[in-house]
Amino acid sequence: MKCKICNREAINEYCELHEKANKSIMDKYNTWKKALNVSWKEYLNEIAKNPYTGSSAKELAEHLKKGG
Amino acid sequence: MEKYTLIITEKPSAAQRVAKALDHKEKPKKIEEKGVPYFVAHRGEKKLVVAPALGHLYTIVQTQGKRNYYPIFNFKWAPRYVAERGAKQIRAWIEVFSKLARDADQFIGACDYDLEGSLIGYCILKYACGNKEAAAKRMKFSTLMKSELEKSYEEPLPQLDFALIETGKTRHEVDWLYGINLSRALTLAAKRWSGRYATLSTGRVQGPTLRFLVGREKAIRCFVPTPYWDIKAMVEIEGSRYEAEYKRKEIEKKVEADTVVEKCRRKIGEIEKINVKNFRQMPPIPFDLGKLQTEAYSLFRYTPRRTAGIAERLYLNALISYPRTSSQKLPPIINYRAILKALSKKPAYRKLASELLEKEALKPREGTKEDPAHPAVYPTGNLPTRALSEPEKKVWDLIVRRFMAVFGEPGIKQSMRVCIKVNDHRFYLHGRQILKEGWMHFYKPYIRAEEVLLPPLKEGEKIRLKQVTREDKFTKPPPRYNPSSLLKKMEEEGIGTKATRADIIETLYSRRYVTDERIVVTDLGIDVFNTLQKHCPEVISVEFTRGLEEKMEQVQSGNEKRENILIDAVNQLKPLLEEFKQKEETIGQTLSNAIKRARMQERIIGNCPNCGTGQLTILYSRKTRKRFIGCTNYFKGLCKTSFPLPQRGTAKPLEKNCKSCGWPLVQVRMRGRRPWRLCFNPECPSKEERRKRVEMQNLQQRSDK
Repeated sequence: MKCKICNREAINEYCELHEKANKSIMDKYNTWKKALNVSWKEYLNEIAKNPYTGSSAKELAEHLKKGG
Repeated sequence: MEKYTLIITEKPSAAQRVAKALDHKEKPKKIEEKGVPYFVAHRGEKKLVVAPALGHLYTIVQTQGKRNYYPIFNFKWAPRYVAERGAKQIRAWIEVFSKLARDADQFIGACDYDLEGSLIGYCILKYACGNKEAAAKRMKFSTLMKSELEKSYEEPLPQLDFALIETGKTRHEVDWLYGINLSRALTLAAKRWSGRYATLSTGRVQGPTLRFLVGREKAIRCFVPTPYWDIKAMVEIEGSRYEAEYKRKEIEKKVEADTVVEKCRRKIGEIEKINVKNFRQMPPIPFDLGKLQTEAYSLFRYTPRRTAGIAERLYLNALISYPRTSSQKLPPIINYRAILKALSKKPAYRKLASELLEKEALKPREGTKEDPAHPAVYPTGNLPTRALSEPEKKVWDLIVRRFMAVFGEPGIKQSMRVCIKVNDHRFYLHGRQILKEGWMHFYKPYIRAEEVLLPPLKEGEKIRLKQVTREDKFTKPPPRYNPSSLLKKMEEEGIGTKATRADIIETLYSRRYVTDERIVVTDLGIDVFNTLQKHCPEVISVEFTRGLEEKMEQVQSGNEKRENILIDAVNQLKPLLEEFKQKEETIGQTLSNAIKRARMQERIIGNCPNCGTGQLTILYSRKTRKRFIGCTNYFKGLCKTSFPLPQRGTAKPLEKNCKSCGWPLVQVRMRGRRPWRLCFNPECPSKEERRKRVEMQNLQQRSDK
């Protein structure tokens, strides 16, 4: 199976890097929600444009925004 | 024919120094044969011939089999020109050594006293001079000062340092076994799949080093920041403004931060407590090579390899002691006072050296690390006899000042924390100052301490908070390694040696596994690492490499045999490479795709200005094979943006944008011409300006005629 984002070999839905980024995005949502009371979509928008977000996490955020 | 003593040094400049120091008139005769220089000196009745090597003249080669085959476990030591295409000149050096050995009646090894130097001398004596290694003596020195060279010649070690040589041989052979087999396995797997050659490599130390970098890269790429807030208050005391920090450095909720700001804005606070702490700051320890490389990187941004090169040149000019040392100790035998007296002849150091010389006893602060062969890096006291380059000046000055600083008194610093209470909220005002410079006086230009002086304050004093602001912040990803911090990490983890670490970092760059000063691992680097992790995890294991390092060190102490280590290496590699071969097709496909992606990545110029989603890339027409710039969305039928490119020379993205229009630039290089920057935007204002300029020139020329 191929990664939905980069076409590399996938573990489940994504490759190793995007799988790790996915976990990170899921884990951090609660902290963002408590801090700013943001919705899931707003959260994805915020991290997608944040300069400190890693490239794999950004790609995944963009993918999730499109409903991936 | 008059018989002579043949002295072998590591480099031509060292040979000149040794010959000059030993010649009774300090004027040795320079002779050149086949482009190889050597020096003839006379000392008493004895004639001396001092001949230099050119680093390693011998290397390891496979004894039989083709170059496109693995595993290979048969090897021998052979002249470098047999194995390396670019080492043709080595033949002449070996021939000159063989010729000089014929009329020599005594042999002395005078290469650098370390693992590499000892091995260089041994190979020349054994292979070029015809098994003279057992009869040879050894000069041992840490500086190229006349007095030390004379002493080491008069009192040489009775034989070569065979324990060190055995360790050196083991290290080279083990590294060769791992390097050649694994690198060939990777390269051939990719070539057999794609039909295209690309050098891929890994090694016993290179693999674990890449591991550190990939681990960090993955953490950075997958990093998701979280928001937090901090609060700063601007306070006014006696007309001056100071910045105070809120007690909690990270506030996790924006609402909470806003509440604090609201409650404290324009309020008057009271000084609740003043904490003053005085603490001693001990002098720094002397430089070993690693510490020198780290300091030179942090002060001057010199890469570890560059610093090692500069230090090597300073050593060959007899300005500093041997720099490839892991010692942090300065034994009294080097004569601290004599060095300081000599340094005081330079006006810049006169006052500082005199201050130290006034002390009754000079005792350096030392680190814990020792090196049996050399002391820590120190200035010899010699002053430059030629104009030093700017980097040489800086590194020499750093070494001199560090040497003086280690004899300094501890410095005393004071830190002050003033707690200001406002409506049950507390802010801290920080001050720091140096009370007694101590050693810092000697190391001044290289001290990075900023002083913040606070006015006299009293507990209970009222202070107005002029401004209270909330700062929006985000957590940051872990920092990227740079060549210096990576070298430090390798040292801490005990992998590689002081002589090889900097080169291994450079290899990672040349293989394109990493780029940039703040090291970014490329997709190719990650894919190579993943392949190794999946199919032969042992060779990228830090523990495994460290274990092997420890075993090799035991060869030097006589507790382990070279043969046992080599057998272990072969036994470990054999099954691993067989398994690798079985999976060659899968591995080859993964690596080929990675190489293809890396090549594609190198051709990407920037984002497409027309469609906004594709990327502009240097492409080749399938029909005409002509080169042009096109959008990646072209293949999806979404964008037809394309621009012409010059067809001659090489073109590559410059990773900079045009100052006039902001479009990405391409660098074009042609033989015999200076490389030029090309802005491919046909509407670029710079083109219009250039057109006008050319027109004006033409007009001018016409009117002149």
